[in-house]
Amino acid sequence: MNARMIGEGLARAVVVFVLATVVLGVAYPFAVGAVGQLAFPWQANGSVIEVDGVKYGSQLVGQPFSDMKHLWGRPTVANATAFQGEDGQPLLWYAPENLSPASDEFAQRVQQRVEAIRAAHPDQANEPVPSELVTVSGSGFDPHISPAAADYQVGRIAQATGRSEEEVRAIIRQCTEEPLLGAIGQARVNVLEVNLMLDGVLDAVPNR
Amino acid sequence: MSPLVISLFEAAVLVALLVAVALPFSAYVVAAMEGAPCVARRVLGPLERGCGRLLRIKPQESMGWKRYLVGAVALTLVGAAGLFAILLAQGVLPANPEGFSGLAPDTAFNLAVSFATNTDWQPVAGETHLSYFSQAVGLAVQNFLSPAIGIAVAFALMRGIAQGQGAGLGNFFMDVVRAVLYVLLPLALVGAVIGVAQGTPQTLEPYETVQLLEPVGLDEQGNIVDADSPDAVQQVTEAVVPLGPQASQVAIKQLGTNGGGFNGANSASALENPTPLTNLLQCAAIMLLPLTLIFCFGRMVGDRRQSRALMAAVLALLAVAIVAVTAAEYSATQQLLANGAVYTGGFEQSAGNMEGKETRIGAGETALWAAFTTAAANGSSNGSLAGFTPLGQVVPLVLMGLGEVVGGGAGTGLASLLGFVVLTVFIASLMIGRAPEYLGKKIGPAEMRLAVVMVMAPALVMLAGAAVLVLVPAAQGAAGGTGALGFSNLLYAAVSAGANNGSALSGFVADAPWANGVLGVEMLLGRLIPLACAVMLAGRMAALRPVAAGVGALSASGVLFTMLLMVIILLVGALTLVPALALGPVAVAVA
Repeated sequence: MNARMIGEGLARAVVVFVLATVVLGVAYPFAVGAVGQLAFPWQANGSVIEVDGVKYGSQLVGQPFSDMKHLWGRPTVANATAFQGEDGQPLLWYAPENLSPASDEFAQRVQQRVEAIRAAHPDQANEPVPSELVTVSGSGFDPHISPAAADYQVGRIAQATGRSEEEVRAIIRQCTEEPLLGAIGQARVNVLEVNLMLDGVLDAVPNR
Repeated sequence: MSPLVISLFEAAVLVALLVAVALPFSAYVVAAMEGAPCVARRVLGPLERGCGRLLRIKPQESMGWKRYLVGAVALTLVGAAGLFAILLAQGVLPANPEGFSGLAPDTAFNLAVSFATNTDWQPVAGETHLSYFSQAVGLAVQNFLSPAIGIAVAFALMRGIAQGQGAGLGNFFMDVVRAVLYVLLPLALVGAVIGVAQGTPQTLEPYETVQLLEPVGLDEQGNIVDADSPDAVQQVTEAVVPLGPQASQVAIKQLGTNGGGFNGANSASALENPTPLTNLLQCAAIMLLPLTLIFCFGRMVGDRRQSRALMAAVLALLAVAIVAVTAAEYSATQQLLANGAVYTGGFEQSAGNMEGKETRIGAGETALWAAFTTAAANGSSNGSLAGFTPLGQVVPLVLMGLGEVVGGGAGTGLASLLGFVVLTVFIASLMIGRAPEYLGKKIGPAEMRLAVVMVMAPALVMLAGAAVLVLVPAAQGAAGGTGALGFSNLLYAAVSAGANNGSALSGFVADAPWANGVLGVEMLLGRLIPLACAVMLAGRMAALRPVAAGVGALSASGVLFTMLLMVIILLVGALTLVPALALGPVAVAVA
């Protein structure tokens, strides 16, 4: 290994780096962006649900819900420190925090969540709480919940909103996606979409 | 049928499909890398030749092992240095709509080394610290180059083993150009477009701000409380939706065994991994190249039985891992069951342990991903490993600890596996009293030394890293627990960095100089030592005169050899890892 060999190697490495930066760092993402913006503009820009000029959130990012008139999602772990708006107002974002499911602290959290959920759902007193209502998702902002977890809340939502259980179930069904080919992935209910429908903001699920 | 049986059936189908695709795909990859005529070359040939001219590569210019190694190390270091500069200067570079400032030097060092070594460990979350420029022009470029370097080195080793005496190992820079142009870039383009179609953002617009349907309150310390709580001193009425060139990055993060997400939540984020379809394709993409390269080996040495023997060993180890981790995650812990207050069955929901898992994905496919991502040295995740059961965490840890053999990183995996093959041939030949030879090449002490260093280096690096981390006082505060749990988290980080995997237990929070330094050095050593050994071994093998196989020489392609290879892999892994595992996750599980 002599100096000339090393010099030649470094020089060629720099050329490859520059070439890669232009082709893979600039041209490649722009090409994907061009296709995306032309063919799938709604998805390429964050799948934001917008009604009458108000942006109610992304179909793919969950929000914290605790209102009795709303469907509740997975427990979220949110913060308001990562981002600020243009006027300096704090904005909500998520950083997941998952405990070992074999730890005492986890057992305590589960216990607390079970108690809170049971207190809000007296009609389900004898039923166990579906697991997704007491476990934090991997992202901290799971936009979905299982049909079992949604079904558990139907009685409470019907009572709080004055709708019939059938109406609530119909809305949940509209916002439910089935597994791919019946087997890949899981059936899931989009919580934000259900709540926008319960509030009368949305009449149909966007882009499905 | 139980959810476990269904999930294992799905996994079996996916692996079978992957093998079925990898077999013909390997013919294309060999043609592309060896400069043989193929359809893609008719289209992309002018680009390939243009790159060759820019690099002043003469046609047929072939390198000896020294020049090849200098090239590979040079490109790794130039890539790391370039990325380091971009991350430091982020604040003044364009495409930074969120106005992120430059990273601290220790963070930038760790991240630059991490992506240049195909590790993709991330000390900070992308969406809260990195500009679009840093992500697309910085990280994603390394996501192409680092697997290309791995593929190039694997082909050098294959040529060294396959060729006659004194032939060169090929041209490193041409190999990198070919790996990117014919293999990585076309696949990434297809994957990225599918990703956008399914919902992954791809834009340069700033992050979206949206209304919260239910505002939340902030108390005096800035913690989230209910909006009507008496502690609330301020209301939060809006939320952020991170955008950016995500789809282009996600595609190459999976295909190139990189694993670094655009977002901190990686593919658990529904932005990076919106649907069961994207989850399936990303999961498959993790394993595609590692499996393809094993088939490439058989084609290169002109004996497909060689690939079959290696593939059988890899698939057998992978199958055990998949069964173990899936079974572990389908069993809920006592803490989750809460004396029957929580329903963890499979009716209208995913059964099992859903802590750290996404609704749309479920426990089974999260477990499968965990096995794939640590077998293939990828490191991406579609759920939080911190939320895995203790035994579920052991499987990824063991897969990383074995070195990159069960698939491994693009190229580096095959190289490590061939290191184990040489070791096995040596031991087996001595057992039956023959002179060790592999595919017509005599294995001497020099070859053995290289093979042993290659397979032992990652294990030594990760254990040394874990030992150093334990001695750092600050590490105990960042370990996310005390005793066995804290040690598990530290061990996981050290193993992940040394194995160039990059997967993380979110319990271990560390963007501090000590962690960035220790893990950064680990990543460099864990990458460069085996890489250098592989190229040197290629050089040694190329220099050897092929001899006709002697009577009774060991066959390296039978069932017996496959089983012996697995035993050696497991023995080396067990000897290095068992003491540390016993003090960490095993102690947590039985406590």
